[in-house]
Amino acid sequence: MMLLSLALAFSGFTALCLAMDKHQLEPSGTARAAGGSTRRIGWVGWTLLAAAFAAAVLACGWAVGAVLWLGAMTLGGIVITYGLLPYRPRWIKPLAYALPIAAGVLWLVEVG
Amino acid sequence: MKQGFRQSMAWLHTWVGLLTSWLLLMIFMAGTASYYRQEISRWMRPELTTAPVSQEVAATNAVNYLQANAADAEYWHIQLPDARNPTITMYWFNPAPKDGQADGRASRRARFGEATLDAASGTPIQARQTRGGEFFYRLHFDLHYIPVLWARYIVGFCAMFMLVAIISGVITHKKIFKDFFTFRPRKGQRSWLDFHNVSAVMALPYHLMITYTGIVTLMLMYLPWGIKAAYPGEEDKFYVESLGGLSEPRPASGTSAPMQEVAALMESARRQWNGAEVATLRMDHPNDAAASLALTQRDGKALSIATPTLRLDAVNGQLLERGGQAGGATATRDVLMGLHLAHFADAGLRLLFFVSGLLGCLMVASGCVLWAIKERAKHARSGRVGFGLRLVDALNIGAVAGLPIAFAAYFWANRLLPLDTLERPQAEINLFFAGWGLATLVGLLHPRRQSWAWLLYLGAAMFVLLPVLNALTTRAHLGVSLPAGDWVLAGVDLFALAFGLCLGCCGWRMQRWQPAVSAADKRRRQAAAVDGAPPTQVARDGGVA
Amino acid sequence: MTRKPAASARVPDVIPAWYQRPWLGVFSRTLASILGGYALAASVNVFLSLALPMQRSQAVLTSMLLAIVACACVPLWAFATRSALRAWVGVLIPTLLFALGGYLLGAWA
Repeated sequence: MMLLSLALAFSGFTALCLAMDKHQLEPSGTARAAGGSTRRIGWVGWTLLAAAFAAAVLACGWAVGAVLWLGAMTLGGIVITYGLLPYRPRWIKPLAYALPIAAGVLWLVEVG
Repeated sequence: MKQGFRQSMAWLHTWVGLLTSWLLLMIFMAGTASYYRQEISRWMRPELTTAPVSQEVAATNAVNYLQANAADAEYWHIQLPDARNPTITMYWFNPAPKDGQADGRASRRARFGEATLDAASGTPIQARQTRGGEFFYRLHFDLHYIPVLWARYIVGFCAMFMLVAIISGVITHKKIFKDFFTFRPRKGQRSWLDFHNVSAVMALPYHLMITYTGIVTLMLMYLPWGIKAAYPGEEDKFYVESLGGLSEPRPASGTSAPMQEVAALMESARRQWNGAEVATLRMDHPNDAAASLALTQRDGKALSIATPTLRLDAVNGQLLERGGQAGGATATRDVLMGLHLAHFADAGLRLLFFVSGLLGCLMVASGCVLWAIKERAKHARSGRVGFGLRLVDALNIGAVAGLPIAFAAYFWANRLLPLDTLERPQAEINLFFAGWGLATLVGLLHPRRQSWAWLLYLGAAMFVLLPVLNALTTRAHLGVSLPAGDWVLAGVDLFALAFGLCLGCCGWRMQRWQPAVSAADKRRRQAAAVDGAPPTQVARDGGVA
Repeated sequence: MTRKPAASARVPDVIPAWYQRPWLGVFSRTLASILGGYALAASVNVFLSLALPMQRSQAVLTSMLLAIVACACVPLWAFATRSALRAWVGVLIPTLLFALGGYLLGAWA
């Protein structure tokens, strides 16, 4: 569940990053998306961050979960900003899809 | 100042940040390392075995030892082993000497006894003498070589500077949201600013929390005025009333009585706690009819530093008292202290705290380097370097390149110093500071880019070779720890390897760095190349730019 | 012959009196931040320990937590405000008010 929180935080930040005009070009390499889809991606991002919070709270309770959520966002943000955006922008979108799925599968295996 | 609010905050941020940055970097690095102080202590005592043993067995072993060595003590305090620390640590307070010496602080300290036992055998551990990870923990608020009181005032002062630096930094960072994901490498000063901003903003909640809660942990010392005002003449009462938990233990009765088995007492406590584990035991007036056992629960469920406690009668096992809550402010302070110490953190969360701590170190380090770069740019045309900048260059080299060497030197000392060295723990610590001092000396003598590169390479080599040194001097190296799945020992070695490689990368980039060439110089060079004449020397070597 | 001013600073034609030098203003504000900041924290600590409507020990603890925040705000004020004099006044007045309040509530009796 903790890994799921981490993965959702990463994806959430990816979405929020893509919702910013200045970062549109790097990850996808294509021209800027239209204004409407930018806003939609933004909403998706915030939703994913909320989901990450929920996962953290479910894993550790309200107090420790909140701390975990903040730490997850820090780690996700760092990976995107120091690592992927400048050096491997094309990996961002695939990872944003793959990581939550992988974490979800791991959680199901652990629970089942 | 005749400038805007943001600009004045930028000025404040720069100076408040710079002036304490070198000491703060040490505090931050030591504090970050302290998240794994138990693991480091284990790595530094490779002779310790970790046969897992139940808490009850460990407690029984502890009590047996204490009965044999401190049966008449006023109290025993036992820290039971856990997943991160396989030893039993205990201390006790001997009764006052019969000849009625003055009760000064030194004589009080002399009455304490301590021992560390192997959990399974119940005998004192046979491992090399070292402060281990505890040195880093103490270093980050007690510093070293100076009286503890001075150190805590200095650290508190620096922490307040840091808090002001963080707040002024946030105020002055106009594009904090726009630049949230912005890091543009290979663009000189711009990259350093981006790097500094990202390391600060990505972990901003952490930085604010760790700085504020750091001050909170020592606030009773910094602000005693409220206690004096509200409790005139009876300050002790404040300490009793403000701490939650158990009250004072009942006084000794004078008659001796046999105590129940500690394992049975622990069982009964755990039943009260629905099975939660016991972390520490405190036996007041052992072997007396009024003996009582206070038990503290293990951390993990809540943020607060204060976990549930209860007190049992040690002779008949009855529940005497449950630790109570003193009030909202006490609970708040307990949570703030809990956040700082992070005892509640499990392996994953601890790693996140560690990453945030590392980001804090990078934030401070990149801040002082950035200052030097900006200052150097101001003098670029004249080519001269003022005394202030030279000093900052030297201190930067000493702190940013030198502190990793200091840490590595401490670990190397642990593996290389003969086991029978006099005052071995202090000798290891001296080598820590010797490493830092050496690097600072190099910085003062030769504050140039070469010094950066060579010191970074030295640090890199010391860290990368640490697992090798480990293999040559002990049997706790990667070849043994990895197959055994001992992630504590392997983790330290692997982190040293990774950290050393990072330092090596930094050193290599520092060595390869070319000064930025202005557009006019570029044109001149191209023209000269076309003419066939050798290009003129452009920029001088200097510190970092 | 007048000297050409440096790019980053304006050199006035007349050297100002010693109390008008820029570095003195910075030094003054710095003192106001450090000394005044601690003084404000102490007076907030004393006042709130006595004034907060809660049990004594809880009031003392709360006052400490708030005094730390007050201390952090002082340098921000001292360097943002228009002059060094305003910096001092802006710190000393609240400090004296809190101290007065503490005195009236029984501190330093």
